[in-house]
Amino acid sequence: MKEFGPLIHGFWYLLRGAEMTVLMAASAALPATILGVLLSLLHVFGGRLLRAAILGYLFLIRGIPLLVLLTFVYYLMPLTGIDLPPFWGVVLVISLYYAAFISEVFRAGILSLPQAQWDAARSLGMTRGLLLQIVILPQALRLAAPPYVSLCVSLVKATSLVSIVGLWELTMASREVVERTLAPFQIFIGAAAIYFFICYTLALYGRHLERRVLVGH
Amino acid sequence: MPFDPHFIARLIPALLEGAAVTVELAGLTMAICLVWGLLVALAQGVRGPLGWIAGGYIQLVRNTPLLIQLYLVYFGFSMAGFGLSGFASGLLALCAQNGGYVAEIYRGGLQSVSSRQFEAGRALGMRRWTLYTTVILPQVIARVIPPLTNQSIAIIKDTSQVAAIAVMEIMKITEVWVETSANTYDVFLGAALIYLALTSIAGLVGKLTERRLAFAQ
Amino acid sequence: MEGTLNDASSSAIELAPTRQQRPMLEIVGLRKRFGVVEVLRDVSLAVSPGEVVVVIGPSGSGKTTLLRCTNLLEEYDHGTIMIDGEPIGYRIDGRSGRRARMSEREIARARERIGMVFQSFNLFPHMNVLQNIVAAPVRVKRIERRQAEARARELLAMVGLSDKATEHPIRLSGGQQQRVAIARALAMDPKIMLFDEITSALDPELVGEVLAAMQQLASDGMTMVVVTHEMSFARDIADRIVFMDGGVIVEEGKPDQLLFGPQTERVRAFLKRYNDRYRI
Repeated sequence: MKEFGPLIHGFWYLLRGAEMTVLMAASAALPATILGVLLSLLHVFGGRLLRAAILGYLFLIRGIPLLVLLTFVYYLMPLTGIDLPPFWGVVLVISLYYAAFISEVFRAGILSLPQAQWDAARSLGMTRGLLLQIVILPQALRLAAPPYVSLCVSLVKATSLVSIVGLWELTMASREVVERTLAPFQIFIGAAAIYFFICYTLALYGRHLERRVLVGH
Repeated sequence: MPFDPHFIARLIPALLEGAAVTVELAGLTMAICLVWGLLVALAQGVRGPLGWIAGGYIQLVRNTPLLIQLYLVYFGFSMAGFGLSGFASGLLALCAQNGGYVAEIYRGGLQSVSSRQFEAGRALGMRRWTLYTTVILPQVIARVIPPLTNQSIAIIKDTSQVAAIAVMEIMKITEVWVETSANTYDVFLGAALIYLALTSIAGLVGKLTERRLAFAQ
Repeated sequence: MEGTLNDASSSAIELAPTRQQRPMLEIVGLRKRFGVVEVLRDVSLAVSPGEVVVVIGPSGSGKTTLLRCTNLLEEYDHGTIMIDGEPIGYRIDGRSGRRARMSEREIARARERIGMVFQSFNLFPHMNVLQNIVAAPVRVKRIERRQAEARARELLAMVGLSDKATEHPIRLSGGQQQRVAIARALAMDPKIMLFDEITSALDPELVGEVLAAMQQLASDGMTMVVVTHEMSFARDIADRIVFMDGGVIVEEGKPDQLLFGPQTERVRAFLKRYNDRYRI
């Protein structure tokens, strides 16, 4: 137990790092979700040019590691002269990255609805806007909720990468404590435990949501 | 940023060397995970403590970031006395993390084969071994190929994180070259192109495998 | 004042025969192809107000496509469709003969007058029965919610499901769901109802309750076009039976005429096959 001394002493510092992690993740998740839903609608209903553009975007995101993108923006920012605080720089990159995956999840939700739902709504005289609003999207959102929560968990874990480009959050904090205490095993286990707590809670909430929300399916 | 052909000429071989390491790392991880993931999935199906341990393992690796696992193995083990190289640590962490995901893929594949198939086979008088190999397994294999393809793409992208423990794969080499030259764009462009190439190839291989197996059915 | 009364009565006298003469549904020269396959080749059909027309035929004959073109769930390539004298989907420029597609809004408007019930997945699973029925009247016709709900309850009573108003579709049997679907379509006060094999996906013991609801609707004077496999039901409910095969109407006539004394060989063959399996 005394071997975990360094962890106990550094734990408060780690928790502050965790706070930053959660802040960063939430700040990225919100725009990512909004953009993702928007992109999914454009992908399903947009014209050929728009869809081609979105497919190109998805191809890039799917094929390039997030770390490469983060590092790229890190080196690029000072060169372009845009004065953006690093926090918002990484939040932007993470948002754009996850928006792609979120859009695919919502698109799958929309497309998985039986044709008869569209037919029934249209034959009742609903215009496309109305039927999207009250028939398709409510169902698509419900269907997409479980994989969406998985993506949120993935997003939280992805914030650990910003430590590599020098930003401070839980992983960076744990590296600092390790440097001080030279007890990597205990500290990193502690950090892992904190991440686990955050992510597992999120995942459990997701499962709860899944049960509540998929009432009619 | 001028397009400097001399620079490109020196850059490409360096990046390709990194790509070799990336491919080696990703390939080994995938190969190991295919087996390891299967073992974990089977263990999870067993009632009793083995099942719980397997389930707990999966939850653990899914809810903690790969980076923390990398640091834990690399720094933690060296402190404990049996230090592993960057490559070996990376391999271990990658296999640990992705093994969990692959196990989930197998589980999903097995569950999705309807129980009616089992019943139909038994009704035809098949014994367990025949039932599994001729009816169930081909269907499971067909169903797990797409998610496994996705997972292999994720693995290729995950290898970028081992740059954090000084393994000379693509990301690390990119970092080094960006630090020591002014042609930031070219270096990142090269890295991005290589990753895109690798992930696209992985995707194609997956599609072809899918088609081949569907044909064989 | 007197002048107006006279005008009103004379126009009323004029109006009545015209109304009865004009078909509720008039399809002329309908053609549609899916890729290279011609699914509908020159189909013409007129349905009088209050008439019940049943369409039968082998699968792939174009019956479903015919229905779906009627409320423009499918585009058609050639021909005209009119509901109560108003064109659906396309307008023909009298002079050039070229057709212009109506706007989405106009088409949606036109669909309000046509009710359709589908084979499966009819109801909106995320809403309960009452919400399903009032959704369109409230949001499309802008009827006040309380009024719409009152009407919905009337319709539910008519199909015998008053006690299911707050249930979600997943709790209902297939037959109950289809009856709710009928009520939902009726809530929009359509002039004509289309039924696309609505009992085909049901377990046999649930079919009867749905057919009873349709029978009720027919006796109330609704104009109906019904695609079905249920031959005995067709015989009971139809004013006219139409046999389709290969994208054309092969034969049509009164139920007893067509079912027991068909003129064409194709119809005979179809009915023989049917008889061998079911006995009408």
